[in-house]
Amino acid sequence: MLQYVIAGLVLGGIYAIAASGLVVTYRSAGILNFAFGTLAYAIARFYYYLNTQEHWSIVPAAVLSILVLGPALGVGLYFALFRRLRLARPLTKIVATVGISVAIPPATTLIFGNQTILSAPGLAPQPVRVFNFMGVAVTMDQIIVYCCVVAIVVVGALVLHYTDVGLRVRAMVDSPAMTSLSATNPESVSLGVWAVSTGLAGLTGVLAAPIIGLDPGDFTLLMVSAFAAVVAARLRSLPVAVVVGLFMGIARNLVQYIFSNSSTISADIIPAIPFIVTAIFLIYFMIRGTGVDESERVGGALDRAILPQGDVPTGGSLGRPASPLGWKPPFLAFALLCLLPLFLKGFWVGLIGQGICLGIVFLSFTLVTGEGGMIWLCQATFAGIGGIAAAQLASMHGWPVLASVVVGGLIALPFGVLIGVLTIRLGNLYVALVTLTFGLLFDNLVFTQQTFANSGIGVNVTLPSFATSPRAFAYLALGVFAILSLLIVNLRRSTAGLALNAVRWSAAGSKTMGISVLQMKVLVAALAAFVAGIGGAMYALSLGTALPSNYSTLGGLVWLAVLVTLGIRSNVAALIAGLSTTLLAGIALVYLPSAFAQVTPILFGLGAIQVAKFPNGIMTENARQVLWAWGKVRSVSRSKRSPDAGPPVVVGGELS
Amino acid sequence: MDERQAPATVPALSASNVTVRFGGLVALADVAIEVPPGTIVGLVGPNGAGKSTLFGVLSGLLRPASGRVFISGRDVTGSSPQSRARLGLARTFQQPELFMGLTVRDHLVLGHRVRYEHRRLWSDLVDFRALFPPTALETEQVEALLELLGLTEIADTPAAILPLGLARLVEVGRAMATRPSVVLLDEPLSGLDIRATERLTAVFERVVSNSSDGLSLLMVEHDVASVLALSSKIFVLDFGHLIAQGTPSEIRADTAVRAAYLGDEDVTAEGTAAPAHTTTDRPTPDGVSPSGPPRHE
Repeated sequence: MLQYVIAGLVLGGIYAIAASGLVVTYRSAGILNFAFGTLAYAIARFYYYLNTQEHWSIVPAAVLSILVLGPALGVGLYFALFRRLRLARPLTKIVATVGISVAIPPATTLIFGNQTILSAPGLAPQPVRVFNFMGVAVTMDQIIVYCCVVAIVVVGALVLHYTDVGLRVRAMVDSPAMTSLSATNPESVSLGVWAVSTGLAGLTGVLAAPIIGLDPGDFTLLMVSAFAAVVAARLRSLPVAVVVGLFMGIARNLVQYIFSNSSTISADIIPAIPFIVTAIFLIYFMIRGTGVDESERVGGALDRAILPQGDVPTGGSLGRPASPLGWKPPFLAFALLCLLPLFLKGFWVGLIGQGICLGIVFLSFTLVTGEGGMIWLCQATFAGIGGIAAAQLASMHGWPVLASVVVGGLIALPFGVLIGVLTIRLGNLYVALVTLTFGLLFDNLVFTQQTFANSGIGVNVTLPSFATSPRAFAYLALGVFAILSLLIVNLRRSTAGLALNAVRWSAAGSKTMGISVLQMKVLVAALAAFVAGIGGAMYALSLGTALPSNYSTLGGLVWLAVLVTLGIRSNVAALIAGLSTTLLAGIALVYLPSAFAQVTPILFGLGAIQVAKFPNGIMTENARQVLWAWGKVRSVSRSKRSPDAGPPVVVGGELS
Repeated sequence: MDERQAPATVPALSASNVTVRFGGLVALADVAIEVPPGTIVGLVGPNGAGKSTLFGVLSGLLRPASGRVFISGRDVTGSSPQSRARLGLARTFQQPELFMGLTVRDHLVLGHRVRYEHRRLWSDLVDFRALFPPTALETEQVEALLELLGLTEIADTPAAILPLGLARLVEVGRAMATRPSVVLLDEPLSGLDIRATERLTAVFERVVSNSSDGLSLLMVEHDVASVLALSSKIFVLDFGHLIAQGTPSEIRADTAVRAAYLGDEDVTAEGTAAPAHTTTDRPTPDGVSPSGPPRHE
């Protein structure tokens, strides 16, 4: 057992270092870095390249990777992105860092190649020395991990509490605005923090690679445990993050000790540990009455005065979304997209059908995040539930296909309600973390079941008899998209849409005018899960199979990134985002050399990073620019007709 | 019969023996308050006296350790904020809690529908009624309220870009749109310039006098001069205790109130307040700050 505990401490130590990096950046920069895992992977891959492929010795390779490349990446990303995010809304912060996490792995593959790496070196010289500690074999790599954890905790505590730099960082935590008024440049503090944090990511990556391997997916899963530790630390307490990280490492190994390494019980329990830890701590916080809303403790009065309380209002009335051009241009865009299947053939029409189905799934993001203001990262899971349920009903039980699709949506609905109720009292970041953990739990625990995975080929599902051709199916999908879009438009303009908007901006204000926050949030959660389920089922139809890996939570992050890039509150943006996802992949597949297959996800990732610049999405921004240009043209033509006419009046940053 | 109507003798809002503790701190101790129908009642006290806590209890956002709250004689102690709102209680906030994604008109429309057409919260989703023009009653009442509050010109302006004075007016409008029997106003005049203060106090007087249903206002305010001028009855809190209640002239003459505002020494030294020598910055019950006239930030 001691051997399991000692080995668990190694993995726990890596969780602890990762959690420390996350807590430090959140405390000082206000950003929870969802890209921490992929940054760790990229730096570890660079270390592997130097040490294994280029045969550099350990010290120069480690110095260049962890102490040079890591901080340099942090500084570069700070200037390119993070410095714009400090005052950004939570969704923008999350999506921008998700964008980095989407772009980095394919960029790394593009640079270093896509070879599978089964064994990666750590910081210990090869062959790795093994020591005997109380009858337990302890490797030099493990000892290095222990030393790193201790060094980070001790040095971190000393620097934070006993140095001038630490004082400035702590002042930044309390009030960035007041810190800047006290002649301390918050930018230089943030810059330093990002450099240190990315260095920690590099250290995490190099230490973790010998244990978990060098695969970006495994690094993201490693981060789930780190996120659980961060939740336990309420995003701020470094010691708690370290202790919980260590605990989870030990717990994981003890499960293997108790149920044996190869048992299915171990395989079921281990992925659930982060979710269980997250749930236990959140319930504990709620029972104790301590807040679980990260915005409660950010900065002082001055900071609250200058920080945005959510997304930037974009006008609209009676619940209508940000559509500065009115309803005609979106309608025209939709009509033009309807013509696409007529002018394309075979393969491309199939991709259009798939893209429209993804567009339906994206409408669920439009509902839950765009309208409800809730940052849910598990919409792909709801889509998977709908898709797999529909396939099971149609193929295994002989149900009519379309009825299966609808029932698939209905089966996803209660899961949405459950998540909605569970997260009702949580702040944005906690909701994002809980839903991400829930999605990954489902991926690893439910979707892996043989009934659903069917040995990796999924469950086949056939198209309805009237839509067997790709073109007919594309129009069927467009019809479903149009119906759901109409429902969303109606929701926006309805009294429920107004109430939803009210709840999003002020729960207290809503309650005291007679609106139930719970009812509104559950309503939008249920609708979003239903739409995601329908979209997932349609997506399964378009592919001919309901394959769980098509609905992975990490893939869902890419979907969210694409949609937010285009416009989270626009139905047409959802359709274009869906079509872009499949068509760009098709173009890369057909027209680009195989080495450039990674270009599409890099573009999606870089697009999401643009959210920092255009928080309302590129389409909304373009619409504004068109509106501005149109206003200029009209004002010029008016002034020609009436020489006394003045310039256009600008109210609140918009032309009136 | 409207469930909010009650005999005229029953207070529109009352609370008895309300005690609130935050850990070891007693924020409110055995406080009782009563708001008769058709009146403006003031609630004053220095910072930390427990005024906002009492508002939290009255509106249902805070649960008291003991005590009871009644709306028109009906015990609502265990009711949620939204249930109390449906019984006729509305409130504004110290920091305006507007819905930034909505326009001024939207705020009032939502208030109107929550009060008069609550079913539409759900029925709109299936009958697509929202895609058609609003009812004549809704249009008439919302326009009348916009007119009453002087908000017609900015009716279609997003709430996000409103200055503080207008934001407070919109909050009042939103509360009024629910046709309440009592509105709790939490420091409605703070941060306003003299012109905006005058405008808002005039609105308060107008909405109460124009109300056919006996609308009452309970107002927490640091601008004591305005409270004394507007209110027919005033309650004074200090360190969680109700230290005085009465008409404005009674409050002006109350020694305990002057002591709470100026400190015991200054009152006991001369038997009355000594405004020039106090070290606090609290305004006196006369509305005159020790260091000068009432400030309007």
